[in-house]
Parts: sequence; C-alpha cells; structure tokens
Amino acid sequence: MMSSLQNPRQAAAQLMNFGLILSTAFMMWKGLSVITDSPSPIVVVLSGSMEPAFQRGDLLLLWNRNLFSETNVGEIVVYNVKGKDIPIVHRVVRKFGTGPDAKLLTKGDNNAADDTELYARGQDYLNRKDIVGSVIGYMPFVGYVTIMLSEHPWLKTVMLGLMGLVVVLQRE
Amino acid sequence: MYSSIVRLQNTFGFFTTVAFVIAAFIAASDLIAPRTPSVGVIKPTNVQVVRGRPHYYSSKKEEYAIIKFSLDADLSSLFTWNTKQLFVYVTAEWPSAGGSGSGQNATNQAVIWDSIITAPSADHLANLGPIAMKKLKRSAQGKSIDPSRGKLSIKNQRPKYQITHPSGKVAEQEDVVLRVHYNVQPWVGFLTWNQDADFWKWKTLRNNLSKKFTLPAIKKKDEKKAGASN
Repeated sequence: MMSSLQNPRQAAAQLMNFGLILSTAFMMWKGLSVITDSPSPIVVVLSGSMEPAFQRGDLLLLWNRNLFSETNVGEIVVYNVKGKDIPIVHRVVRKFGTGPDAKLLTKGDNNAADDTELYARGQDYLNRKDIVGSVIGYMPFVGYVTIMLSEHPWLKTVMLGLMGLVVVLQRE
Repeated sequence: MYSSIVRLQNTFGFFTTVAFVIAAFIAASDLIAPRTPSVGVIKPTNVQVVRGRPHYYSSKKEEYAIIKFSLDADLSSLFTWNTKQLFVYVTAEWPSAGGSGSGQNATNQAVIWDSIITAPSADHLANLGPIAMKKLKRSAQGKSIDPSRGKLSIKNQRPKYQITHPSGKVAEQEDVVLRVHYNVQPWVGFLTWNQDADFWKWKTLRNNLSKKFTLPAIKKKDEKKAGASN
C-alpha cells in the first residue's frame, strides 16, 4: 500500500493530481461566479425564515445580473448587512424608486414582521448594491454537508485527511 | 486496484450521478407541464388612508393606506408533481410624483397581501398550529397533488401589510393599481414567477391588473378622540 511513497516520481504525480482536483473545483466556483456576477453564486440556507420554501441545508443558485429587468418585488434575494457576516435570504416585499438607488424592503416568508430590525442601525431599506444575488435555482438537502462541516470542525480534518489518503493511495 | 475504498468511492460516485440526473429530469419536466393560470377578478373594495404608526417599531407617525380587495383566480395548473409551494402575492403599484404611468414602469411597489399554498407533499413543512395542520392534511388526504388548492376566491380581504412610502405621504395618490403575481417553488430545479409573455406551454397570467384608483384623503382618527374628551 505504501509503495507509492517509496517512489518519489509517483508520489509527486499524485500530489499534482490532488492539486489538480482542488484547482479545478476552485476554477469552477470562480467561473460560476463570473457567469452569475455574484461573489458567492451558491449559498446554503442556514435558517428557517423562508420555510416552507427553503429548509436548513438546502442549496440555492443565485443570479446577480439585471439583463431584462431590475431586481423586483417578489424576488428572493441574498443580501449582506453592514457589520454582520452572515448573508440573509429573504423576499423583496417593497420597492420604492428605480435604478441603483431604489429602496428595497425584505421579509422572510415565515416571519411575521419585515426585516427593518435586521438591518444596520439607522438603515431602513436595502439598496441594490447590498444584494449578492437573486435565487433562481433550488436543490434540497445537498448543502447539509457544509452545515455539518462548520458545526463540527473536526469533520473537516477527517474529510481532508480521507481525501488526501485516497488520492495518495490510488494508483493509475 | 480493487480495494474497498475504491469500491466505496465508485458506489458513491455512481449514486450521486444517478441522483443528479434524476433531479435534472424532474426539474426539466416542469417545462412540459402546461400552465394556464387566470385571474377572474382583482379589485380594491375599500381603501382608507390613516396617519399613525403602521408598526410597533415605527419611529415616526406617517400616512399609511389599508386596501381591502377581492380576488378570484384559478392557479390550479401550477400544481404539478414538482411543485413544493405556490406563493401568491398582490402588490399595489403607483408612479412617483412626476414619474411615468403605472404598470411595468411603476416606481413604487409594495406587497399588500401574500399567501403560501403548500402542495400536499409539503404540508408537513408549513408553519401552522397542530389543529390547522391536521385540517390542512385532511383536506388532501391520499392525494400528492391537489390542484384545487390553486382556486382562490377571496372577498373583501383585509390586507396583511399596510402601504407606506419613504416620504411619509400616500394620501390622495393617483393611478394606483393592484397586481396579482405568483412564484412557483419547485422540489428541485428553477424557481419561476408569472412571466410577461407566453413561453411555449406556459401562458402568461392575464387580467392580473386592477383598474386604476385613487387613494382617499386622510381619515381623521382624532375626530373621535376629540369628541370623547369633550
């Protein structure tokens, strides 16, 4: 099993292989980012505020270009609030004005009140630039892996170790 | 090398491939299901403008409008095997002062009422109390798809949300219209909204716009109070 480690040429080739897999994944992520014009084109739902549409662990595909129309009322958007790290997925329920200065108000389908209290202090509305993208695609459950990984950090080490082991032990 | 790790890897890889292909087929099946939604009636029945605090967290008094409305719509064709929920919402739209007309160019849009209609397969996810949940589940017992839930007939409905404007003024606003929209949430695939034009088997939502109306002047709440204190 460990014979591959004794052959430096093979070991180097396997290291390259591992690097190739990582860089391919990275390029695909960045490529998707360019196509959708969103810094984070795929997000995992973390809260139940959009239930029953989205549950924790569901995967959402975002789109951040306004090709045919502006971001409108009824769209489900992911937005960032100044001073908070975690992006929020909620529906736009009010829009005043047009263009980049339009004032947008959001609300979670499962929440009784709108998001005014979630915004930064003194902020009553969102602008287009606060929005990371609008939800266009949906895939259930798949994102639960990342929730598990972030809630149990030791899983990350185990998974990386396993992946490395498999690649190193694999012989073509 | 046929070690158990490689076998496990192959099995897992095959499983994910199959799962994703099936998911893609299910998502694509939306396209061949015809959508013929229609709105019979959408009209405001009672409109009031009040000055006060629309929410408990409002910091200042402002004008807000309460628009009661009637809605008749048949959205049953939107319920297919891939429909998780239908989100129906009614917006009020009005042009800004000096802006262009209503409709697509409306520059002020606010949801006044919305409703989540779950498909029977998603009933267990609805945020309801135990009694309402039981009732909901019983309404579609044995059915995984229940198109009859898409038939809406609502008379003189109170709005869920009052209309405000950042300027604090909405009274006597002209050219206000109500518009019906929907958003189909699939089990897997792309989210869809009512589209502006026919798209193959998907027909646009016709007649989803009310006639233009004008918001009334402020209703004096203080009159009553003044009368009581005398």
